Amino acid sequence: MMAATFHKPATVDDAVRVLTDAGEGGRPISGGATLVAMMNAKLVEPDVLVSLSAIAELKDFGRAPDGTVRIGAMRRHRETAFESDLAGGQAVVAKAASQIANPPVRNMGTIGGSISFADPAADYPPALVAADATIEIAGPDGRRFVPAEEFFLGWYETAVEPGEIVTAVLLPPAPDRAVGHYEKLCRVAGDFALASVALVLALDGAGTVTHLRLAVGGCGGGPVRCPEAEALVVGAVPSAERIAALAERLVEDLDPVDDSRGSAEYRLQIVPRLIAKAFEEALTEMEPAR
Amino acid sequence: MTTKTQDVTVTVNGAARTLACAGTTTLLTVLRDDLLLTGAKRGCNQGVCGACTVLIDGRPMRSCLTLAANLDGAEVTTVEGLAPRGELTRVQESLLKQNAVQCGFCTSGMVMVAHDLLQRSPDPDVEEVRDALSGNLCRCSGYRALVDAVIDAATGGAA
Repeated sequence: MMAATFHKPATVDDAVRVLTDAGEGGRPISGGATLVAMMNAKLVEPDVLVSLSAIAELKDFGRAPDGTVRIGAMRRHRETAFESDLAGGQAVVAKAASQIANPPVRNMGTIGGSISFADPAADYPPALVAADATIEIAGPDGRRFVPAEEFFLGWYETAVEPGEIVTAVLLPPAPDRAVGHYEKLCRVAGDFALASVALVLALDGAGTVTHLRLAVGGCGGGPVRCPEAEALVVGAVPSAERIAALAERLVEDLDPVDDSRGSAEYRLQIVPRLIAKAFEEALTEMEPAR
Repeated sequence: MTTKTQDVTVTVNGAARTLACAGTTTLLTVLRDDLLLTGAKRGCNQGVCGACTVLIDGRPMRSCLTLAANLDGAEVTTVEGLAPRGELTRVQESLLKQNAVQCGFCTSGMVMVAHDLLQRSPDPDVEEVRDALSGNLCRCSGYRALVDAVIDAATGGAA
C-alpha cells in the first residue's frame, strides 16, 4: 500500500483546510470501519488522510431547549444505540444504530462515516429520513444544512462536496407520543439489510394517525419515502387494509436490484410485510400510553 | 503531523511502544509484522470475519480496520496480553474444556469478544453470547461449542 500523509487536526476548520488543499487524493477518516476496508481492498488509495479523531465537537451529543438533538459525526454506533436521550420518535435512530453490523464494528463505526459512505442498504439512511433529520456539513465557506431526504442522492452518492465533511446529524423533536421503529431483514446476523423499514408514527387519543414518516432502505440508490402513500394512512385509524394500501403505493416507487442477498422481486414482496411488521411493533409500543 | 511516517506511542499489553507508522498502516500489520504478536489473525482484512479483533481502550475492535497512526495514546490488548504468560483466562480454559477449538484460526478473536462480554455482563444468557460472538466467523462452523464454552466460563462450570 502506498504511503499517505496523515493529519490529525484539532478543529473542523483545520480539517476542511487540509482536505481542500489535498484535493482529489484527500480523505477524512473517522472510525475507519468503511474507509480502511476500502483501502485494504485497494478501492481507494488516498494520498492524504485527515483524521477527525482529535476534533472534540464531533464527539458531542446534545439536546437544544427546543428538543432538537445534535449527534456529532464522530459518535460511534454503540453510543447512539445506547443513547437514553433518544426516546419517542427519535428512538428510530437509536434502534437503527443497534442493528448495524456487530458489537466490535459498532464500537468503531461513526454516524458521520456511515452516512458519508451512503451504502443504500445501510441502517441509518432510512432512519434519518423517517426522523426528518438534517445533516450539518462543514466546508471552506462554513456550515450548511441539508435535509436527509436531499442528502442521499443515489448509490454511494451524497450531497457532500469535495473538501467538505459531515459534522453532525440534527434530529428535530418528534410530535408528542410519537414512536419510532426500525424493522430490518437480513440473511445473517450483522449483514446489511435485504430491505428495511423505518417509521415515526403518532396517533391522537382516538387512535387516528396524526404524524407518519416512513422510509424504506435497501431498495434503490437511497432511502425511499412516499408522502402520497403516507397520506393514505394519515388522518385515519391505521387498519391493516390502509397499511396494505400504503405499502402497495410505496412499492411502486422502489427500484431494487438483484444481488447476492436476494432478488429485486423478493425485495418487492417482503417490503409490504416489513411495513406491516413495523406498524405492528410501533402500535404495540404505544399501547400502554393509549 | 505531516510526515510520511508518524511516531505513535501505544501501550500494547501493558508496555508502552513507540512505533514509526506510515499513514495507511493498520494496527493488525503493526501487531503481526513489527511486534510479532501473531495472535490476531488476518482473515478477510475487511472487518467482516473478526479474526483480527483486539481490545482498544477496553473495547473489542477490528485491528485490520484501525490505522496505527490514529492510535497515539491508546491502550491495546491482544490475546497474548489477557492473562500472564503461561496462564489462561476463564474463557480460554472453557474453550479447551468444551473442545470449542477446531482449526483455531478464529479462536483469538472469539476469545477477545467473549472476554469483553463477561467483563460487561458476567452472567449472560445464550442470546447475549450469540450476539457478542455474532461478528466473528468460524469457518469450521463450531458455533455451538463456542457458545457453550462462554456460558461455561460465565458460570464457572455450574451450567
